[in-house]
Parts: sequence; structure tokens; C-alpha cells
Amino acid sequence: MTRVLVVEDDAQTAAEIAAALADHGFEVECAVSGQDALDRAIADRYSAIVLDRMLPGGVDGLTVLGSLRGLGIDAPVLILSALSAVDERVRGLRAGGDDYLTKPFESLELTARIEVLLRRRTIPERQTMLRVGDLEVDLLKREVRRGGRDIELLPREYRLLEYLLRHPGQVITRTMLFEEVWSYRYDQRTNVIDVHMGKLRRKLDDGGLPSMIQTVRGSGYILRAAD
Amino acid sequence: MRLTDLPLTTSFRLSVLFLGLFGVSSFVFFGFLFWKTTTYLNNSVDDRLQRNLGVYALANLAEVEQRMRTHAQRDPDGWWPFGLFDPAGHYLSGNLTVLPQRPARFRQYFEFKLRRAGRAAPFRGVADRLPTGNIIFLSENVTEIRAFQDLLLKAMAWGGILVLAIGLAGAVITGRGAVRQIKGITDAIERIVTGDLAKRLPTDRGAGDLDRLVHVVNGMLDDIERLMREVKGVTDDIAHDLRTPLTRLLGGLERARRRTTSTHEYAAAVDEAIAETKAVLGTFSALLRIAEVEDGARRAGFTKIDLGRIAADVVEFHAPVAEERGVLLSFDTDAHALPQMSGDPSLLFEAISNLVDNAIKFSPTGGCVGVRTFCYNGSIGVAVSDNGPGIPHQEREAVLRRFHRLEKSRHTPGSGLGLSLVAAVAKLHGLTLSFDFAYPGSCVTLERDLSGQSLTADPAIAGEGPEPQVHAISSGA
Repeated sequence: MTRVLVVEDDAQTAAEIAAALADHGFEVECAVSGQDALDRAIADRYSAIVLDRMLPGGVDGLTVLGSLRGLGIDAPVLILSALSAVDERVRGLRAGGDDYLTKPFESLELTARIEVLLRRRTIPERQTMLRVGDLEVDLLKREVRRGGRDIELLPREYRLLEYLLRHPGQVITRTMLFEEVWSYRYDQRTNVIDVHMGKLRRKLDDGGLPSMIQTVRGSGYILRAAD
Repeated sequence: MRLTDLPLTTSFRLSVLFLGLFGVSSFVFFGFLFWKTTTYLNNSVDDRLQRNLGVYALANLAEVEQRMRTHAQRDPDGWWPFGLFDPAGHYLSGNLTVLPQRPARFRQYFEFKLRRAGRAAPFRGVADRLPTGNIIFLSENVTEIRAFQDLLLKAMAWGGILVLAIGLAGAVITGRGAVRQIKGITDAIERIVTGDLAKRLPTDRGAGDLDRLVHVVNGMLDDIERLMREVKGVTDDIAHDLRTPLTRLLGGLERARRRTTSTHEYAAAVDEAIAETKAVLGTFSALLRIAEVEDGARRAGFTKIDLGRIAADVVEFHAPVAEERGVLLSFDTDAHALPQMSGDPSLLFEAISNLVDNAIKFSPTGGCVGVRTFCYNGSIGVAVSDNGPGIPHQEREAVLRRFHRLEKSRHTPGSGLGLSLVAAVAKLHGLTLSFDFAYPGSCVTLERDLSGQSLTADPAIAGEGPEPQVHAISSGA
């Protein structure tokens, strides 16, 4: 079972995070201070760590992160923070964080990002062919085929599909798509990404094929092999 | 006004100081004048006596006695008393029988008094010793000269008193004016402090230094009042815009508890509640973001950016939505490569995206939305134009206010914070935000003047950027 360490000093927030992760099938342990987090992370192996940026008692989130990386513990770390300023995010990522999420966040956003962080480690980057069900993408030739039929995609649609294909069966939120595919970071509150996804979906499902991209109520998508 | 306050006022003190200076200089001037006049008049008397003395000195004693007798006949009233005396000072002849005083030295002019016409009259005289040893004494009545001097002195004294009185009165008047104005200002400030922000400091409609100060302070008060009104407006708007979804949320939850029977219905109610809560959170986040952007903290994340590239990305991002709504979205640039500027790409994307989103939202089906980047005359920028309904004249000033939404667009989803964020992002980047209200439609321009400044000496990263300039240009509306 995948074990996740949640480092959060506020008991209620910690409980919410733990519940959300537990609902997604993770085994969760909580630490309430930086020292506690370090002790646990050194003693045990965790698949991922959710780390609050601000912690009481002298050892703050970035210090914990630096110490862990210094000790060679390379579990993916998702930093949580109430600070949304760009340089705060950059500092967090430079200190060895793998992703950065600003409070308040939705539980789906958190679990989706943890899933992606966990999976990132398992898929080799040097793949040239991505396949899910009858959909295949040639990464070198940038060709998309479904059931042997070529599909013409616009560059942006191709990048959306490629990102989804790299994380099959995982929830990908709109914010993640926006960050990854458009490379801008802010809370996109329009339905523009839905429209992009709608176009992509129509092209993939052309000819009455069963839909491969499913909408997750709330804020995300999953690419799955059609049944 | 208390009279004791008067000497404390600057204007009164200055008036008194200048009055004193003027008095001293006048005193010196008139004193000199008086001295010179008196000397001149005395000298002319002395000259006449000297000439007569010369005539007598050249004659022999018999001739002198003869002349004395003739003189006494010509001047029976004795206004020019001449006399000849023996060496011991005893009278020999002339119309002066007694030497007024034993002269200490001869040929020295001196003044003395004689009784004439019933009262003492001033005379000026001189004595000399003739070669025979006899003493000759000549004198002249100087009543008129002394009267003239008296008149002069009195005129100067009265003039001085008059000037002093007028000066003091002036000082009191200006002092009272100042005291009155300062009292007015103090009263006004006290009322402002107690909460009456509409109160203004009184002016005398003059161009005095105090009036200039009052004008500046009144301008500042206008700004403060405007800001307070804005804060109040924003607070009211927040209360309104948050109360509505919260009321819906509460209503939905209560209805769910009252009526819902199946799990499925409960789930639907929860989903509804989640959506409402997200909307409320979204509004809060947007407010906080605007505050954060206005705070300037985001400058830390500034990098070199290509405005044209960001604008193109925005157009590409919104293209499918425009297509879906039947709006023609076009991108156009009049420069092959815009000069780089420093900025936060995500914020600029969001700002331009807000403008394009608005333009698409308010364009009718078949309408056109154009995004154009430009670079001319040393300024670069991006313009978003549409041929939608435009912004009514009376609402143009208010469009940037937080939460402001035109009444007729209340049914369109959105928090009404978009343009406020655009304005905040523009300010952060030293961009000028201007509205060109063509009819139909409107054009919003974000523009930055890069002339005269190298990119390294960038005001937006070197420190405080220029104030945001919001222009509303009317054309044809």
C-alpha cells in the first residue's frame, strides 16, 4: 500500500487531508512539527510527503525538505502553503519540492497531484510510443491513431492528449492541464479548458467510438481505455 | 476670537515687526531732514550777520555810531537789535541797550531771548571787537525759523502717530483674519476628525500661502474621501456579492434537510453546496489576488517576457470558445518582434485573458474580437477591441471598480473582479490602461512607454512604477 506522510500543524486541516488521501486508497500518517516529520521520514519509507510550508517550533517546511534531500531521501514532496507569491513557489521547488499547492485547495487537486507525483517516478521518460486501449501516439512523429485511424490534432490538442496519455487512469485537474500545457500558473476559473477538451474528445471519439476522456465531477478529467 | 491670541499669530507679529522697522527708518530719515533744514536756515541768518559785521569792521568809530543810529531809526521795534558798546560793555549806541550776555568768545553765533510785543522772542546774534576795542553786537529775530521748525516737528510727530495707528490697525486686521482662518481650519479639522469627511477647510479664495496649503490639504481630503467611499463601496459590494451565494447555499442545505429522502438527492444537494462554496472561495481568492498584485509583491517573480507571445497564447487559448460562440477572434501584430519587457507572464496572460474573455462574452454572435500587439514611437502594448454593445458613458468611470458589473450583465457569470485585476496588473507592470469607446464596441489598450528608458532601468523592477493611468477616450459615442 502506498504510504503518505502529511506534515501539517493544524489538526483539522491535517485530518481533512488525511481523509481525502485515505479515500483515494493511501495509507496516511501525520506529523505535527518539523522535527516529528524528520524523525518519521528518516525512520520509515514513505511514497510521498505532503509538507506544510509554515511549521511551528523552529524547523519549518523548507528546512525539513533540505534536510531530507541532504540525507538522500528522495520521496516526492508536495509543498502546501498559504503564500502564493511566485518567488515563494520557486523557493519551494528549488529546495527540492516536486510540486507546490496554494491553500485553500480542493482535495481532488491534492490527490490528483500526489497521484501524478507517484506515477512520474514509474514511467520511463524515453518512451517513443504511448498506448492506451486502441489509442496510440507516436511521440517522435507526433502521430495520433485510434483503432488504426489517423487523427489530425492541433498542436495544443496534441499536447493535452500527450499529458493525459502519460497519466492514464489518473485524475488530471484543469489547473494541472493549464500549468502543464499552457505553462501559465493561476487559478483558471473559466470553462475554456473544458471547451478545448470537448474539441479533443470529439476528434478522438469521431465515428461513434466510445469516449475515452471522462469528466470527473468538480474539476478534472481521466483518460481510460474505452470499455 | 480671543484678543490674547492676536500676538501669537504670525501675520500680526510680521506686521508689527515691519511697522517697527519702518518707524525706525522714518525716524532716521526725518531726523536727518530736520537737522539739514535747521542748519541751512541758521546758516543763512549767520551769513547775513557776518556780512553786516564785515561792513562795520571796516568803518571808523564815528561811522559805526552813525550807521547804528540810522539802523535804530529804520528798526524802531527792535526786530534786528544792533548795538555798540565800549570795551567794558557799556552802551554807546544802537537799538540794543544791553548786551544779552557777556560773550565768552567773539564771532561765535548764539541764541538768546528778548521781550518783544509782550512776549519772549528768540534771536540769534554775534559779537565782535572793533579795532578800537569797542564791542559791536548784531542780532536777528528768528521767530519764523523756530515756528517753521515747530511745525515740522509737529507734522513729523503726528505723521508718526498716524502711521503707527494705521500700521497697528493693519496688523490687527491681518492678525484677526489669520486667527479667523486658522480657527476655521481648526474647527473644520476637528469636525473631520470626528467623522465628517465631507467637510473641507475654508479658504479666502486668495492666493496666499495659507490658501495654497488649504487647497493642497483639501485635495488630499478629496482623495481620502474618495478612497473611503471606494472602500465602503467595495465592502458593500463584497457583502452583496457574497451574501447572495451564501444565502443560496443556506437555502439549498435547509431544503435538502427538509425534503430530501434518497441518498441520490442528498448527493445532488451536497454537490450544489460544494459548487456554491467554490464560487465564494473563488471570489475571496480573486480579492486576495488583486490585493497581492496591488501590493507589488509579485514583482519578485518578474522575468524578461515577450508580450506578443503572451498575447498570441491568450488568443490561442480562447479560440475554441470564440468559435463555439460564433465570434471571430483574430490576432494581429504590426511588429515582427516586440522588444522584451520585464513582467510576470502568468499575470499578463491572466489580464489579457480577462479582456479577451470579456470581449467574447459581450460580443453578439457574428461579432468580431481583435487582439493586436503594437510597437511604435517607443511604446509597446496590446489592444483588445470588440464590436459588442460597448460601455455606457456614465458607467465608464466605474468599470474598474471592484465587483462592478454593468446592470444588464448581471446574468452573465463572473465575479466582476476581472477589470480590477487587469488594472492592478497594469499598474504593477507600469502599463497604461485606456478605454477607447468607439460605437459600437470598445477597445481596451494596455500600453507601456519604453522610450527614454533602457530595459535594465525598468521602473517596474527598479522600484515603484508610475501611477496607473486610466484614460477614458470618447470617440463618437
